[in-house]
Amino acid sequence: MALFRPNRIAAALALAATASGFGQTPTPTEAELARKLEQLAAELATVKAQLATLQQQRAVQAQAAAQPAAAAASAPSVAAPASTPPTNSAAAPATVLSGYAELNYNRPTRQPENTQADLRRFVLGLEHRFSPTTKMAGEIEIEHGVSSADDPGEVEIEQAYIEHQLGRTWGVRGGLFLIPIGLLNEYHEPTAYYGVERNFVETRIIPTTWREGGVQMIGQFGNGITLQTGLSTGFDLTKWDATSTEGQESPLGSIHQEMALAKARDLSLFGTLNWRGIPGLLVGSGVFTGNATQGQASTSSRVTLWDAHARWTPGRWDVSALYTRGTISNTAALNAPLVGNPTLIPSAFDGYYVQGAYKVWMQQDYALAPFVRWERFNTGKSYADLGPGLTPAPLPTETVWTTGANFQLTPGVVIKADYQWFSVNKDANRFNLGLGWAF
Amino acid sequence: MTGLARRALACGAALALVLAGCGGGPADLEAPAATTLSEQAALGELIFKDATLSASGRQACATCHVESNAHSPDNALPAQPGGPSMDQQGGRSTPSTRYLGFNTAFFFDGEGTPTGGFFWDGRAGSLQAQAHEPFLNPVEMANGDAADVVAKLARTPYAEEFKRVYGADILARPADAFDRIALALQRYQLEDVEFRPFTSKYDEFLRGKVSLSAQEQRGLALFNSPVKGNCAGCHPSAKAADGSHPLFTDFTYDNLGLPRNTALARNADPTFFDLGLCARPSGELASRADLCGAFKVPSLRNVALRKVLFHNGVFSDLKTALTFYVQRDTNPGKWYPLKPDGSVDKFNDLPEGYKANVNTTEVPYNRRLGDLPALSDAEIDDVIAFLRTLSDGYAP
Repeated sequence: MALFRPNRIAAALALAATASGFGQTPTPTEAELARKLEQLAAELATVKAQLATLQQQRAVQAQAAAQPAAAAASAPSVAAPASTPPTNSAAAPATVLSGYAELNYNRPTRQPENTQADLRRFVLGLEHRFSPTTKMAGEIEIEHGVSSADDPGEVEIEQAYIEHQLGRTWGVRGGLFLIPIGLLNEYHEPTAYYGVERNFVETRIIPTTWREGGVQMIGQFGNGITLQTGLSTGFDLTKWDATSTEGQESPLGSIHQEMALAKARDLSLFGTLNWRGIPGLLVGSGVFTGNATQGQASTSSRVTLWDAHARWTPGRWDVSALYTRGTISNTAALNAPLVGNPTLIPSAFDGYYVQGAYKVWMQQDYALAPFVRWERFNTGKSYADLGPGLTPAPLPTETVWTTGANFQLTPGVVIKADYQWFSVNKDANRFNLGLGWAF
Repeated sequence: MTGLARRALACGAALALVLAGCGGGPADLEAPAATTLSEQAALGELIFKDATLSASGRQACATCHVESNAHSPDNALPAQPGGPSMDQQGGRSTPSTRYLGFNTAFFFDGEGTPTGGFFWDGRAGSLQAQAHEPFLNPVEMANGDAADVVAKLARTPYAEEFKRVYGADILARPADAFDRIALALQRYQLEDVEFRPFTSKYDEFLRGKVSLSAQEQRGLALFNSPVKGNCAGCHPSAKAADGSHPLFTDFTYDNLGLPRNTALARNADPTFFDLGLCARPSGELASRADLCGAFKVPSLRNVALRKVLFHNGVFSDLKTALTFYVQRDTNPGKWYPLKPDGSVDKFNDLPEGYKANVNTTEVPYNRRLGDLPALSDAEIDDVIAFLRTLSDGYAP
């Protein structure tokens, strides 16, 4: 997630002003109260002026660098750095509140009885800068509106980490963080992607929002290269449930641990290289690999996921493409006790998509960007041989066309509509409406 | 790059190598090792094997729960004999006591499914609670009361040890002493690995030490398949996420509509029906008519060693039992007697009003008269080959 947006600074100022009010000792007279109010008002005016100056400076900088990013109606930026360089401005607040949310409506046109409206997620982020070089970032998410023992919702911590800047180039991050694979996982706010729903490739194959606990080095070089590499917790194959279809929906989504009493005997390594050397162009690739049986199976098994991605935003255009492939080793031994069950562990799964968007209309803050996306994915592309009659047949590759538009009401607020066609599961064809925001 | 950054990168790389090295070979998940029994468990073992604590002087716990037969009877009687003269027939078949340390007290889960409990109807909340009953059951050890049991124990060679462990005056307090007897039996069953050996071929297979034969592997697939045997629906076969080996029971209850066993003496009374869960002596589930006819799902570990099967012991071999599962609805005439009008008296071990409780929705029971059974004869043989891998004491 891009940090330190102007709106966040404003929110932080409001929070700081409120906090300072709470921090005062009780005043004995109305006169003293009035004097303090005047003092606060004066201070606020000063801060507002500083903020206006800062915003103006940032706007100029953004305009200079932004030919690429301007294309997306909802302003997702290819230039977003993974790590924030130190900020020494006196106007920068120490604590920043952020948030995003998605409210979606899905109407399967062949099965309208399955129409749903869902507050998909409501997320609050909090960032606190302890010093110019050290900050904390955290996000708490509530899914599906209500979370209780009898409701479908979940409450989860998506991120909770400390980041320390070691110099102009390198930073180190430790805690629970998003794994830098693909285009969506780290930048998953509704204003950052096209379509009501996140694309299938980056949810079924790359299990967005995918986070692990560990340590990560982040290097941003002058030549436009960003390198992220680290060591983290990984997947847990021992919780593969062959009796459910969860593993068919998302092989890695069914075995990720989200740092909830995560088994950590087997750790994983990851690395991602992104290049932003040409304005508007992002090209990158990442890999994540580690053993995943956690010492609790007779067989050691390695899970590896890699991707290659590119995004190009010339003028009003926003074009992106991604390929990702996952493999799991020694699945024949892991599957042998599970034979006959509906969902065995695949040895390979993959997906890819191409997406294009064009901003056709802009007026003041309004912007309309139609898009089309073609994606193919297979969550059970191959299975290890278990012998005749026992080896599962590979799953069919699903193809999904999505077309629709993002309408930016104002920067940070997006209304979306699209239609999706499925080639295999045609009953899933659906019309989607969405409302989202991020600040 | 600054010097600090270089140092941090170097440290990070070193840490990565060290920690990644931790993800090496798999742990060797061995069967639980035998340990020295505690004083209470050692007393429990003596009590478990002591026939002098019965009215007949010929029946101990171990008489029915024969260790060499996976703690289940080593004869094919539908229910075991007992009573003061060992001439009274029990009402139900004797379950194995193996792997019961993993059971829980009875409860209804979040979806209302009855789960846990000891005995076929789950009426006892623990091994200790279970251990009380056979001593006083008139068709088992047939003691008059707790004092009767304690008086017998006072005459045993281990009475002094019993007093040393539970207090010098314990035998003067029969109710407390009887509780301690049951407690010692529980400790024994929980501590002695013979009650949870995990030494079957299937366990060795899960440990990666042996392979199943082609027939056993086919049988496992049929056992697991939700459209074939669907056995794993109630008898889970997969390891748990914590690496523990499967118990082949989910400790729930099911109503199979078994044929009435005329070899049980109490079934001579045509008005008697063993209704299981809803007919506990306490009456606590008497209002739950929907549970009438349901009995606990037993573990299938060591099922090939059992001489009789199901709560009423109506079948004595796996081939017949599995064939019943898949042909109960396709060929009911094969399993049930005919009514005077010539129609099949299906589910004849239940009163008419409770026959609707029988499970007819899940595979393999969801068939109709004349349908093909869910498993062929050859497939049943494959499943049996697999079930034989569940017997403890496998030696390659």
